[in-house]
Amino acid sequence: MSESRRNFLRAFGAMTVGAAVAAPAAAAPAAAALPSSAAPAAAGTTAPSPRWAMVVDVGKCIGCQSCTMSCIYENAVPEDSFRTIVSTYEVQEGGRTAMVMLPRLCNHCADAPCIPVCPVGATYQQADGIVVVDADRCVGCAYCVQACPYDARFINHHTGKADKCTFCAHRVEAGLMPACVETCVGGARIFGDLADPDSTVSKLVAKGDSKVLKPELGTRPHVFYLGLDDRLTGKVEGEPTLWRPRATESHA
Amino acid sequence: MDRRTILKSGVAAGGLGLFAAGYADTARKVVDGVVDTLAPKAGAANIHGASLKPEYTVDPVTGAVTPDPGQQVSYVMCMGCTTYCGVRVRVDRDTGTVLRIAGNPYHPLSSDPPLAPDASIRDSFAAVSRAGERGLAGRSTTCGRGSAMLGWMTSPYRITQPLKRVGRRGGGEWQPISFEQMVREIADGGDLFGEGHVDGLRALRSFDPIDPKAPELGPKVNQVGLLSSTNEGRENFARRFVQKAFGSLNFIGHGGYCGGSYRSGSGAAMGNVKTLPHAKPDFANCEFVIFCGTAPANAGNPFKRQAALLAKGRTEGKLNYVVVDPVIGHSDSLASRHRGRWIPIRPATDGAFAMALARWIIDNARYDRTFLEQPNPKAAAAAGEAGWCNATHLVIAEPGHPRDGFILRGSDLGLAIEGDTYGDKDPYVVVEPGSGRLVLHGDLAGPATLFVDGRFAVGDTEIRLRSSFDLYAESARRHTLDEYADVCGIPAETLAGLAEEFTSHGKKAAVNTHGGTMAGNGFYNAFALVTLNTLIGNINVKGGTMAPGGAFPAEGKGPRYDLDGFPGQVTPKGTPLSRNVPYERSSEFKRKKEAGKPYPAEAPWYPAAPQLGSEWLTSALNGYPYPMKALFVWNANPIYGIPGLKGAVSEALKDPKRLPLIVSIDPFINETGAFADYILPDSLLFETWGFAAPWHAVPSRTSTARWPVVRSKNAATADGEPITMEAFFIALAKAIGLPGFGPNAMTDAAGAPLALDRPTDWFFRAAANVAFAGQKPVADATDEDIDLTGFGPHVEALKATLKPEEWRKAAHVFTRGGRYQPYGQAYDGDRMAQKFAPALTLYNEQVATARNAVTGKRHSGVPQWTPPAFSDGTPMRQVYGEADWPLLLISQKSVLMGAYTIGLDRLRGLHPENPVALHADDAARLGIRNGDRVRIATPGGEVVGTALVRHGVMRGVVAVEHGFGHTEFGARGHRIGGTRQPDGEALAAGINLNDVGLSDPTRKDLSVWLDPVAGSAVRQGLPARLARA
Repeated sequence: MSESRRNFLRAFGAMTVGAAVAAPAAAAPAAAALPSSAAPAAAGTTAPSPRWAMVVDVGKCIGCQSCTMSCIYENAVPEDSFRTIVSTYEVQEGGRTAMVMLPRLCNHCADAPCIPVCPVGATYQQADGIVVVDADRCVGCAYCVQACPYDARFINHHTGKADKCTFCAHRVEAGLMPACVETCVGGARIFGDLADPDSTVSKLVAKGDSKVLKPELGTRPHVFYLGLDDRLTGKVEGEPTLWRPRATESHA
Repeated sequence: MDRRTILKSGVAAGGLGLFAAGYADTARKVVDGVVDTLAPKAGAANIHGASLKPEYTVDPVTGAVTPDPGQQVSYVMCMGCTTYCGVRVRVDRDTGTVLRIAGNPYHPLSSDPPLAPDASIRDSFAAVSRAGERGLAGRSTTCGRGSAMLGWMTSPYRITQPLKRVGRRGGGEWQPISFEQMVREIADGGDLFGEGHVDGLRALRSFDPIDPKAPELGPKVNQVGLLSSTNEGRENFARRFVQKAFGSLNFIGHGGYCGGSYRSGSGAAMGNVKTLPHAKPDFANCEFVIFCGTAPANAGNPFKRQAALLAKGRTEGKLNYVVVDPVIGHSDSLASRHRGRWIPIRPATDGAFAMALARWIIDNARYDRTFLEQPNPKAAAAAGEAGWCNATHLVIAEPGHPRDGFILRGSDLGLAIEGDTYGDKDPYVVVEPGSGRLVLHGDLAGPATLFVDGRFAVGDTEIRLRSSFDLYAESARRHTLDEYADVCGIPAETLAGLAEEFTSHGKKAAVNTHGGTMAGNGFYNAFALVTLNTLIGNINVKGGTMAPGGAFPAEGKGPRYDLDGFPGQVTPKGTPLSRNVPYERSSEFKRKKEAGKPYPAEAPWYPAAPQLGSEWLTSALNGYPYPMKALFVWNANPIYGIPGLKGAVSEALKDPKRLPLIVSIDPFINETGAFADYILPDSLLFETWGFAAPWHAVPSRTSTARWPVVRSKNAATADGEPITMEAFFIALAKAIGLPGFGPNAMTDAAGAPLALDRPTDWFFRAAANVAFAGQKPVADATDEDIDLTGFGPHVEALKATLKPEEWRKAAHVFTRGGRYQPYGQAYDGDRMAQKFAPALTLYNEQVATARNAVTGKRHSGVPQWTPPAFSDGTPMRQVYGEADWPLLLISQKSVLMGAYTIGLDRLRGLHPENPVALHADDAARLGIRNGDRVRIATPGGEVVGTALVRHGVMRGVVAVEHGFGHTEFGARGHRIGGTRQPDGEALAAGINLNDVGLSDPTRKDLSVWLDPVAGSAVRQGLPARLARA
């Protein structure tokens, strides 16, 4: 098993979904997403600056890994590494079994722990919120890999540099959708500009029921999950063995 | 979080990878980095790594598209499974490298809703972009496997040159030969391998009888056959060669070992066990679906569309559903648990589940009485129904009566009828409510009596007549709910609850099934499940079940070209190799009857089934009903795909005396091709032509086009044509002088003769037929459409082949990757626009009056619960008891891996093997821990796999995911012309359930276990035991 994969798996087990709260602080607009001091201005973006974000509607994910595969080909991700993946689990709750599909990627945090640890200023946040690595500066020390609480980074064993999801910045700059979004079979991945109140992501986040991973760390992630906390933290005792959808709807 | 355990499942992790670059060097690197950072730099930061250059840019505000001249975006077809989705393929124009695959926004299998069919190619680029966020609702997708398919194009195991075997069959040694040599040797025959004379196709094209004493077998041409997979877009071309030109009856696909039990059971419920109609839920509008034996977000056809609609329906729509399956899969999601639920069931007991629901529905009168009572289409329409059924039609239930078991007809009453006695126009008979009289089914303007069981005067005698529904109800009431619950392992109250729920949505509910029914009782399981739809009368109803939307015919007698008939065309005759005709018409039967013992036949016959790939190789090697002389295997792999076949026939297959000539047509050497005498490298994926159509679940008419977006890597013919199946059959037909190929092989609509000399002669004209089908042809493709999609290299040939007014319309079809009826035309008010017109059949006369050729007994004409059995009716558990074989093995479809995609390195990197799943309680009892090596034994053999201990699997079940356990496709290196391929150890990962499939212990010949009625291969519910290895 590759280390990067194992970390992805381990991270889920350690996830403290119970502490998830509604209306995460990270839902702040782009003004809060300051670029790191070492960061040059992002190329190719036009004013007013967007704040890119993703909403993952977990109920729409069917775990087909199209995002994983498309990302690999779009971004030349080396063997045994992943910029994004769908962790799939079987969970057991009081005798009932269910499947969990959890798409994972860099959270493009407003307070990204990976940025300050970089000794050469290679990793920084663009004005549009995308956390990037300047491969020309990166020395492959992997401090950022260690610092990321979401295990979203790895050292690319072809280049020796830190590597991670960029929200497909090269596509976004070209007016396109990230590869994982354009090919999401269930339509679970929704990408857009959180600085634009009319964008789909803004409207979904504004509803207030989206969640982020590990909110207690204060990283203010910009990948928001719909339908996650209810399913993982909801009370499930007294679940009837006979299921009738209409009866259960009010129960749930 | 108490009481919650989290198990890793599904995607297991891959091999070792590098993690960090190592910290020893860090200090030096930091210094280097700082130095580098301080150096003056020009241009933007290097943040994109090796990510692909975008294929075009789109202005997010205006939507203006600026193409990248270095890339083309081509709309073609995926071949990663049998769904054949429309995809968009990015190609580097300079290198001809396929860069990435995503969905075709015009195509309904990849987008919902799809882009308007008349949109320009340029607009189709903007439709999936960020501009106006169009790419969210307009996104067009590939699944995980589809996204990885480009790995095929560069596979080191692909063959590109014709191969001829060296040494023994199956020995793995080959000599590359020229295309022309291969054609010559297969046409002429001779002492091809130093093993004695082998007949070539010229000698085998004889219309003399195979056996003058058994003329029903037909001419000797039937001893040449072709085993195919599914219609991937070129099947009609191959059929033209084998059936229409050469004249053999024997051309078969993979249905018998795919979902044949479902297709046959559905065919029984929908009135035709030969054409096998089937319906799908209208996913977009259904409120409640019972999936049993199929898992819509896990696999199936069309996997991606079903999955997308399920995801949408359970979040934004009104869909609730259950997945009744021995294993939980990706159709279940904790995030939508109140909308969908997994219900574990014992393998091979779907029939008990379905008949339990039927019983509850009948006992509680929850069936749609109005629908069931209408005896004919007119009465049904008057009653506001969208379809009709034979529930009220009367069946002769008089033992000893010559027509016992048949449906009563007008001619039985002595009436003068139109057409043949008992033919299509001989009317059925029903009981008129009130008067109690027998009347013809078409004579009533309203309902007929639903429950009938009485004695009526028919002709001179009084006989017992029963309505179809009465017979069905009796079958359902043969067991109590508790008895059914004991069989299937689902509590009676759950069965009742599901029955109530299913009948609580009017017609906006459905039952759906498929390959999960491939058990030793699969036919009746599927018949029982599908018939539940009839009980609520949901056929043709929006939100109910639907007929397929159909396609624009490409290869028939089209509006521009006749790709069907030709002078000298042969109509094949005789007995199909799989004996799917009544044994009672055979010379063997007559001979045995005269000898006083008509039964048993030498082996089973399948009169109520279509042609069966599942019974092909065994029949050919047994020489029953006749021996085969030459077999083509085209992109098919029965040795891998049919449970028990490898063990049953491997040795026999190595003996050229039993089957003298085997020709594989395939880009790879698969488990069946390994036994071939010759291998013809077929074209591969994005190098191929073809016209396919959605199998089902698309309500609008759709044709999918495929064209070469990159140059073929295959060797060329002497004419410079890349080697393909089509080029091979053209050359072979010319070599032996078959009609239908070469000069004057086809005609245009005016009857002018045309040649069929190269594949494009066929596919370009097929495109013209698609373009001109229907009331109005498609628009012309513009120069820009052609340039942006990279179709340009084909234009000169297209112009040279088609008429001036045709070529741009054909190009429109190619550049869009097909032709599409506007999506909005799929519905007609609260009905489906495309309707299934024949009667649904609660009682199927074809099934009821067919006899088992081993026992001479008839089959039940109504759905029933019956345990898994062998061909002579012996229950499986009577032979292989639970004491010796306590577990049941099932095959589970993979979300990622397909039967022929093991060579996709990146897919395998994500999902490298298939651990076998068993329940934690069984594991504890057997002392097996997660990750242990375990030995799985069945009466058919043993394999060693890795255990995955789960809760999401029924107790007593061992589940094996399909697609692994390969011994070929690269798993074994072959020696080709003195060069040995490497053994691809990673390609041999995991196990193949079919390697431990069963032979039929009640048969004496080479056999595999098949459903006694449908003849479908049995892979669900194999008796097994498990121990730590």
